[in-house]
Amino acid sequence: MERRNVLRLLGSAAVISAFPPDALALFQQAHAQAAQSPGLKAFNPHQDATVIAISEAIIPATDTPGAKAAKVNEFIDLLMGEWYEPADSARFLDGLDDVDKRSRRLFSKDFVDCTVAQQEQLLRALDGEAMTFAKQQSAALLAKKPAPPANFFYTMKKLTLAGYYTSEIGFEKELGKSIIPPSHAGCAPLTAEVNQ
Amino acid sequence: MKGQSFDAIVIGSGITGGWAAKELTEKGLETLVLEAGPLISAADYVEHVPVWEVKFRGMRDRKAELENQPIQRHIGDEWNAKFFVNDRENPYTTPPDQPYLFLRGRHLGGRSVMWGRQSYRWSDLDFEANLKEGIGVDWPIRYKDIEPWYDYVEDFIGVTGQAEGLPQLPDGKFLPPMEMNCAELVMKDAIAKKFPDRRLTIGRTAILTQAHRGRAACHYCGPCARGCITRSYFSSLNSTLPAAEATGKLTLRPYSVVHSLIFDPKTRRISGVRIIDGQSKQPIEFTARIVFLCASTLESARILLNSATPEFSNGLANSSGELGHNLMDHIMGGGATGIIPGHEDRVQIGNRPNGIYVPRFRNIKEKSPGFLRGYGFQGGGSREDWGRGSEMPGFGADFKHTLRQPGPWRFRFAGFGECLSNRDNRLEIDKGKVDAWGIPTLRISHKWRANELALLKDMQVTAAEMLEAAGAKDIVLSSTPSAPGEGIHEMGSARMGRDPKTSVLNAYNQTHDIKNLFVTDGSCMASSACQNPSLTYMALTARACDYAVGQMKRGEL
Repeated sequence: MERRNVLRLLGSAAVISAFPPDALALFQQAHAQAAQSPGLKAFNPHQDATVIAISEAIIPATDTPGAKAAKVNEFIDLLMGEWYEPADSARFLDGLDDVDKRSRRLFSKDFVDCTVAQQEQLLRALDGEAMTFAKQQSAALLAKKPAPPANFFYTMKKLTLAGYYTSEIGFEKELGKSIIPPSHAGCAPLTAEVNQ
Repeated sequence: MKGQSFDAIVIGSGITGGWAAKELTEKGLETLVLEAGPLISAADYVEHVPVWEVKFRGMRDRKAELENQPIQRHIGDEWNAKFFVNDRENPYTTPPDQPYLFLRGRHLGGRSVMWGRQSYRWSDLDFEANLKEGIGVDWPIRYKDIEPWYDYVEDFIGVTGQAEGLPQLPDGKFLPPMEMNCAELVMKDAIAKKFPDRRLTIGRTAILTQAHRGRAACHYCGPCARGCITRSYFSSLNSTLPAAEATGKLTLRPYSVVHSLIFDPKTRRISGVRIIDGQSKQPIEFTARIVFLCASTLESARILLNSATPEFSNGLANSSGELGHNLMDHIMGGGATGIIPGHEDRVQIGNRPNGIYVPRFRNIKEKSPGFLRGYGFQGGGSREDWGRGSEMPGFGADFKHTLRQPGPWRFRFAGFGECLSNRDNRLEIDKGKVDAWGIPTLRISHKWRANELALLKDMQVTAAEMLEAAGAKDIVLSSTPSAPGEGIHEMGSARMGRDPKTSVLNAYNQTHDIKNLFVTDGSCMASSACQNPSLTYMALTARACDYAVGQMKRGEL
């Protein structure tokens, strides 16, 4: 029963204490610059391109359009600019920069300039770390202990899914859903739903 | 400023105010309905607005809510946040160790626009409990007194459900039941086999499963709390207020924030109602022969407390001293969830706006150790969706195609436990703090006591037992208590009773002290039972209107 009717995509924003003040200042500076780029609220063009590349790697175009076509980057940019606390946004941008640092260490170039195979290699490592974080977070929740510090790729993946499946493309083309269902039934064969 | 005079004034246009308006106008009374907030209409409904047209895609406008709705952000969603009040305009205080969530709307239709719609009858198990156990005061009515009014209300609002023949949860006049989904059918069978004293039934809810009294059947879009263009669920806005309007006897005044009632010491009657116009902030007085107070449990008590006079120095109609005391709400937060293996080739189609119900099974035939009364479970089965993806390893085409398919079936039980009447759970006026209209606000003191907390602990055990019986995996228990108020079933602040010394209202919701004053919202409740209470409020309101108009016709009022 959906008594609350709350779409809990993310839960509450992670609280970050003791975030380095200089990183926060850098973020605010970057934020001011980004505000001058038309259409972007938090990302600079390079960060935007990196987010597009990672989101499309998570949800690529297949027989239906992917994250890039669904403009998942714009959704994440909006959240970083207007939804998250500045410290949380700064941490996310820091994580994004770290992707390039790791990419340059491994392949001597930025993530967006890597080959598909190189990108996948790096993302597999990041995904492994995100899954470790996910397990720690669940365990902390069950034990009613504070959550571990946010993991960049866990957040990136979560926001990519949220942005994609709540887009018109994700909702209608990928999931085949409609706002007003054509029919209703309690316990029907799966194929009926997929083809609705 | 003097306003017009009416036969009746109804304060509030929510679930009980709407009923009072319908009943009084249909019985011929020129009736003024005072609504504190603005008018809203079907044009304000947002149930079909797609998620991609909502700014934060359903994640709520977090910063705006922290600024203006730090309390209301615990309820509703990004679509219907506009139906909940601005907390800065509507403040209240609590003792530091007793946080309370007062979740509410102020607009035409009140919370009936966003309510949960679950509609259950009470039984004599509930009406007799206080007397048998010596808790609070005895209800002045029994099931036979309210039964015809349950019939009457259900026939008008339309309630879907399945008759079960259980003495603790009397059957109503039901529209055809909604279908259970696959996980719920599995659970129903498992409970029937293993727990003969328990029953799983489909939720009884004020939603139409077939066209009824000029309103269309539900189309299963899902988010009722955002409104309903087809008027398929019951609200004042969809149903009772249009009926009242059709009589030609209704005057509806929005932006009318009631300040206090005016008591005439010569006649010992209420002569009128003093409002502050919500927009101009000017005071205006309206007069009437009778007044129905339907402003909600907390607001009705606040109005009466703010209407103190030399004769009633601690609150109007409060010779008993019980006004504002005995506040109750249902305790939530106890239950369990688990994965029901199998049935992966089957799904639920559409967004059924209803769940399942397990009626109370504790302290029915056998005495349960450790606590009085009991609880019911709501909840249901559903398949996991794309949200599971962030906990799943992988990315890319295969990952995407896995998430295209629904995940495993999950089943959830969420308990609603009875709250015992306790004099120390109370409302007072905080004279030092006024709202945006200059009206003194409430100080709310409510905490869970040992019996409620014992129910909560038992909920997780019995929920887990049933999940195990159905073969569930990964069972997770929960027993974190909700904040008082969070159940949004607040009641009891002006209780009914047999003795004017210990209760505010008589068996017809009429104040013992002032004949032409009736209070029919949740404040009248002498106990809380564990069922969702709105159906009972509606039945009591219709019954009180019938009594009041009868008394007027006989010249006794």
